[in-house]
Amino acid sequence: MNMMAREMIHSGSDVTATSVELVDVRKSFGAVEVIHGIDLTIPEGSFVVFVGPSGCGKSTLLRMIAGLEEVTDGLIAIKGREVTDLDPSERGIAMVFQSYALYPHMTVRDNLAFGLKMARTPAEEIAARVASAAGILKIEHLLDRRPGQLSGGQRQRVAIGRAIVRKPDVFLFDEPLSNLDAELRVSMRIEIARLHRELGNTMIYVTHDQTEAMTLADRIVVLRDGRIEQVGSPREIYQDPDNLFVAGFIGSPRMNMLSGAMEEEGHVRVAGQTLPAPVSAPQGETVTLGIRPEHLRVAGAGENGLPAQVDFSEYLGGTQYLYCTLSDGQAITAEHRAPGAIAAGTLVQLAWDVGEARLFDSQGRRLR
Amino acid sequence: MTITETMTHRPVRPADRSAEKAAAKLRRAARARTGAIAYHTAGAAIVLFFIAPFVIAGLSSFRNATEGQTAPLPPWPRAGFSVDSYRTLDTFGAGIWQHTVNSALVSLSTVVLTVVVSLLAGYGFSRYRFPFKNTLFVLIIATLMIPFQSILTPLFIILAKLGLNNSLFGLTLVYVTLQLPFSVFMMRNAFDAVPKEIEEAARIDGARDLRLLVRVLLPLVLPGAATVAIFAFLNAWNEFLAALVLLSSNEHYTLPVLMMAVRAGRLGAINWGAVQAGVVVMTVPCLFVFLLLQRYYMRGLMAGAVK
Ligand SMILES: Nc1ncnc2c1ncn2[C@@H]1O[C@H](COP(=O)(O)OP(=O)(O)OP(=O)(O)O)[C@@H](O)[C@H]1O
Ligand SMILES: [Mg+2]
Repeated sequence: MNMMAREMIHSGSDVTATSVELVDVRKSFGAVEVIHGIDLTIPEGSFVVFVGPSGCGKSTLLRMIAGLEEVTDGLIAIKGREVTDLDPSERGIAMVFQSYALYPHMTVRDNLAFGLKMARTPAEEIAARVASAAGILKIEHLLDRRPGQLSGGQRQRVAIGRAIVRKPDVFLFDEPLSNLDAELRVSMRIEIARLHRELGNTMIYVTHDQTEAMTLADRIVVLRDGRIEQVGSPREIYQDPDNLFVAGFIGSPRMNMLSGAMEEEGHVRVAGQTLPAPVSAPQGETVTLGIRPEHLRVAGAGENGLPAQVDFSEYLGGTQYLYCTLSDGQAITAEHRAPGAIAAGTLVQLAWDVGEARLFDSQGRRLR
Repeated sequence: MTITETMTHRPVRPADRSAEKAAAKLRRAARARTGAIAYHTAGAAIVLFFIAPFVIAGLSSFRNATEGQTAPLPPWPRAGFSVDSYRTLDTFGAGIWQHTVNSALVSLSTVVLTVVVSLLAGYGFSRYRFPFKNTLFVLIIATLMIPFQSILTPLFIILAKLGLNNSLFGLTLVYVTLQLPFSVFMMRNAFDAVPKEIEEAARIDGARDLRLLVRVLLPLVLPGAATVAIFAFLNAWNEFLAALVLLSSNEHYTLPVLMMAVRAGRLGAINWGAVQAGVVVMTVPCLFVFLLLQRYYMRGLMAGAVK
């Protein structure tokens, strides 16, 4: 396997566009395999976000790229160079940890300089690089403090600074913002996006916050149970999910998943109603019709829709969410932008444009 | 002021209440003064209580030769300061200097060996996964329950077989062995308290093996290491029984063994001045080590107690 895989790795020169490449990467802890053969190509300069539920293997995958976790099987290449068995410091990567992981006994300056000192970089160059990183992150005034004397946001800046001074090919972030409060998280998120624009390096970012994933990523990698479910731009992931898992994982409130069955040509039967289907499938097949809450509307007079009883509504100011039950007992959530209140118990007709609905087969695969 | 007044947020003119405020301020000041007096009185009493033995031993070691023949009551020199007692002390054994060097050699070697071994063992127990790790660890801790007097004879035989009886190096090995269970336990805890990510960040920064240990981890476990060092030093410095049993020639004796001879006296007469001088010689290094390392020591014992 390894010979073949080795050939699959692009040589450095011909594809300068490839930054990180994973070939059938697997990881077992003892007898338990947690990463089941990941193939992934990450283009140079892109911002890739790994998302997925807790325990799906995001951190493990990132740590394997970093070299902190041994690879059980498969190959990893960075910039066309195979690094599977190389030491973390020799891979051209830098990592920012959720817990910051600063050296508590060193000043901020020494924290930034430590890696360069280990690499025996000349002192003038260390000073120059530290100054430049501190300038980028606006932490010049903190250089002589110790990590214990910094706020959470400042610590995270230092941790990012420590990554910058290494001038890595690839930045790795493992949930860097999850220890910060909501407001700081937003500003640091914008900061990281700016950093990516300015530095242009490849960045791989692990999070389970879908807002972070949607706003930061060029490409999102959705993982589940150690497998890739879909890779795509945020737009593709949101609008064109490959399967029920991806459709349900991205988007808040969740996409409505209505179970139904195919009827005669181009129609689907849901909750006792026959509705136009977005795509056709063999008659009688069990399907799931997915429709996001924001694509549902309360039908006006004379418009056809799915009858639903409002159980309760949430008023958020700009919009309101109606939590409803269909005639066959399935739950459905609709976003209602009109200002008028809709009382619980009201019977409404929910309508949508057929182009906004997505159809999935009984295995959860997308029908196109 | 009535409730309605408060509720309507009518501003209260400062003049209204300045007298009341001044009175409250006085009351607070008086209370603070009483508190401070009580605090310092109690503190001074405790300090006196703890420092008295040192002062008594110190002063009475400076009595002259004739006073030194009598019990140290009162414990201060009445006929002027003199170093006679130290001179007398020097006539015991192979000279006080020789025995102090013996003790210092044994104690410092014990400290160095114990710290190095427990640092490595603690790191291993904390970070590596290997079969029977916990069993082994419990076994090491369990040896703390064996009274060491009971293994003195076997130790003596083993050292004799190794040709290490009656040698300071052999004695050092025994002390290190006795010191290790506690020290390994201490260092494992210290390493457990260091987040794994810090080590990983250091590995990404290119620090490996010895440099990782010395540059990154050692400063983080320094409180634990200082605690281990203090205990190793004090125990080795003060140890008597093993030294008495394992050392047989005069010039190898450590200070506690020498002190036994001084305390026993000559021809039935105890030279109290020499005893007090010996006490001072034995105490000063302990004080010195403790004062040097105490700020780390406190942190080491309290590690993890407060986050
Ligand atoms: N050192 C380890 N030993 C055994 N199993 C492990 C180890 N580290 C991770 N795992 C398992 O591997 C799987 C993936 O873990 P991982 O930490 O990569 O998840 P994650 O996607 O990062 O989750 P989270 O979002 O909670 O951080 C989990 O099932 C976890 O229990
Ligand atoms: Mg994780």
